[in-house]
Amino acid sequence: MTHPILSATNLTKTYGSTQALVDVSLQVYPGESVAIMGPSGSGKTTLMHCLSGILVPDTGKVHLTILNNAATDITQLNEEQRAQLRREHLGFVFQDGLLLPELTAQENTALPLMLSGVPRNTAETQARNWLSALGLDGLYNRRLGQLSGGQAQRVAIARAQIAEPSVVFADEPTGALDSETSETVLTALLDSTVSRGRALVLVTHDESVAARCQRLIHVSDGRIISDSADTSGATR
Amino acid sequence: MKATTTVSRLFLSRLFATRQAWSLPVAAFAVVSTLALSVAGGIHFFFTLNKQSVDEIAGIYMILAILAGILLIMPIASLAGAAAKLLARRRDERLSSLRLLGASSALLRTLAVTEASVLAAVGSLLGVLGYLVLMPVAGLLHFAGGPIGTSGMWLGAPGILAVLATIIGIGVVSSFTGLRSIEITPLGVRTRQRPARLHWLRIVAAVALLVVAQLFANIYGAGGIMLAVVMVLAAFAVPMLALHFIGPWLIAAVTRWRLRRAKTAQSLVAARAVLESPQQAWAQIGGVTLTTYIGVVAGAGVSLANMGMDDAAASMTNAEINLLTDLRTGVLLTMVIAFLLSACSVAITQTAQVIDRGALYNGLRRIGMSFTQLQATRRGAVFGPLWIVLIFTLLTAVITAFPLLGIAVVASPLSMLVISGCCVLGVLLIWGGVQSSAPTLRSVTAD
Repeated sequence: MTHPILSATNLTKTYGSTQALVDVSLQVYPGESVAIMGPSGSGKTTLMHCLSGILVPDTGKVHLTILNNAATDITQLNEEQRAQLRREHLGFVFQDGLLLPELTAQENTALPLMLSGVPRNTAETQARNWLSALGLDGLYNRRLGQLSGGQAQRVAIARAQIAEPSVVFADEPTGALDSETSETVLTALLDSTVSRGRALVLVTHDESVAARCQRLIHVSDGRIISDSADTSGATR
Repeated sequence: MKATTTVSRLFLSRLFATRQAWSLPVAAFAVVSTLALSVAGGIHFFFTLNKQSVDEIAGIYMILAILAGILLIMPIASLAGAAAKLLARRRDERLSSLRLLGASSALLRTLAVTEASVLAAVGSLLGVLGYLVLMPVAGLLHFAGGPIGTSGMWLGAPGILAVLATIIGIGVVSSFTGLRSIEITPLGVRTRQRPARLHWLRIVAAVALLVVAQLFANIYGAGGIMLAVVMVLAAFAVPMLALHFIGPWLIAAVTRWRLRRAKTAQSLVAARAVLESPQQAWAQIGGVTLTTYIGVVAGAGVSLANMGMDDAAASMTNAEINLLTDLRTGVLLTMVIAFLLSACSVAITQTAQVIDRGALYNGLRRIGMSFTQLQATRRGAVFGPLWIVLIFTLLTAVITAFPLLGIAVVASPLSMLVISGCCVLGVLLIWGGVQSSAPTLRSVTAD
């Protein structure tokens, strides 16, 4: 039986009078791709932010198991510790990429490693390897504005993967792309995560994107209303 | 024409809809106007002295007031420039989007000019209120044997209008900055394809100005008193102008060298941010470096005033003793005002930058860049250029001051104390400016 890499228990989160998460629990396993779907304001992004340590839930716990060590409760870490955990063990892909426009593709990709103290030469070599693997050979020195939307998003994927994270979180990663580019980017994302034994947690509105994931979770009014893992009865 | 009017009306009607969009530029112009009017009011006071009892010394007061005014023009222009750039940066993405939709050059110019005029005018009017509030406080300062008084600080309606027109004019002229690139490559501006380029003519102009200044200093430095004073003005004012030309170019050249050697993420991002717009990097620190330039002059001035007091105190009239005391007060006051202008410039630019790049900073924090690392990156983008320009400014100022004042004055202990004090204060000020925007950074990166 495989142990979950990420385990959330009884998460609640409130913004003013709005309950964004209500008693949410879920486990994510290594090599699993999980799509979280739901209407706007349903709490899916808040859930992703709590799972990844961007936000701290009001109550509940989030345990992350790193490199077969004992599980770390993310909610007990301070801001700096959570930032360190994110840059060393988690990867992120956002809808608008959030790449630095003044940096080249190679420098953007190398950034997480350099933030963790890896020498620039080593970080940039690894960045080039990842960019090549994602079909961006020869575009290493292009700035963000010189790349197409799909290319920029693949740079964001390369940046998310470079630190060899245990879990990659993607928030509407294909939301700003046309269907053909979206397909290419999603394939690149799945190949670079699930195919390498990493977990992928993906927030999306798009059913065709969600259909490419192994597991589908529906969220509404801050609650998980359905989880395909429960209905399929899959054993871990 | 009809389209221009319709779209302009639409944009103008929304100008004050989002507080974040107008509050900072308006506040910036209000601060510029308050300080500029107060400085102009102070200078104006010295032109009223000949109607009072200081007789022949009134002329010297006037010349010294003009010198102080010239020394403060650059920091004031720098602050006004920072305020104007604030307007331009908020507008560029919007206008380039409009250009992509097919907007004419006339429409872009109309929008740029009207928005800049309205926001600068509102800010400047608030600045008049600030000036009126400051008048009684500034009036307490003693010059020519008595306090300036509130009425002494009053510039008069024509003077106020002239200052406001100049400041609004700077805002309007600066609004044309970058419009050409929006017209030619709107997509490039929208997506920031290319970093800003600096023309090599800047260096030619700067070198020519420095050579001319040196010639003036050498030829006329020891001539008749009036001619000498005029030439001293030219000798000090011209190098400051030269610094303004060469500053951004120098920053870009040294930062490119630093970029190649950057080893950490913070130094890499900081260098790239500086190269994105060396002019902007200069705008942030230009005021302080020019203040340092003033510091060298001020140091020598204070030293000169003290030497005069020591040597001839017994044989001097009361008016002459007052003049030397006032010279010292004036020099230090000029310094304080220049620092104040620079502090505002840094705080405005840094806060604007944090707001403009809020989404990006938030994204960086999410991928694991800690607040400390973010702050270090921002400090690097400011302090990297600062060291470069500070050293160059000190060298330029000392080279210019030597032939005019001599080594005994420039290198005197008091002079050195004022110069080093200026450098330390300048660096602390910049640090304070960056730190003052830290709470804004915290708020824009908070989820």
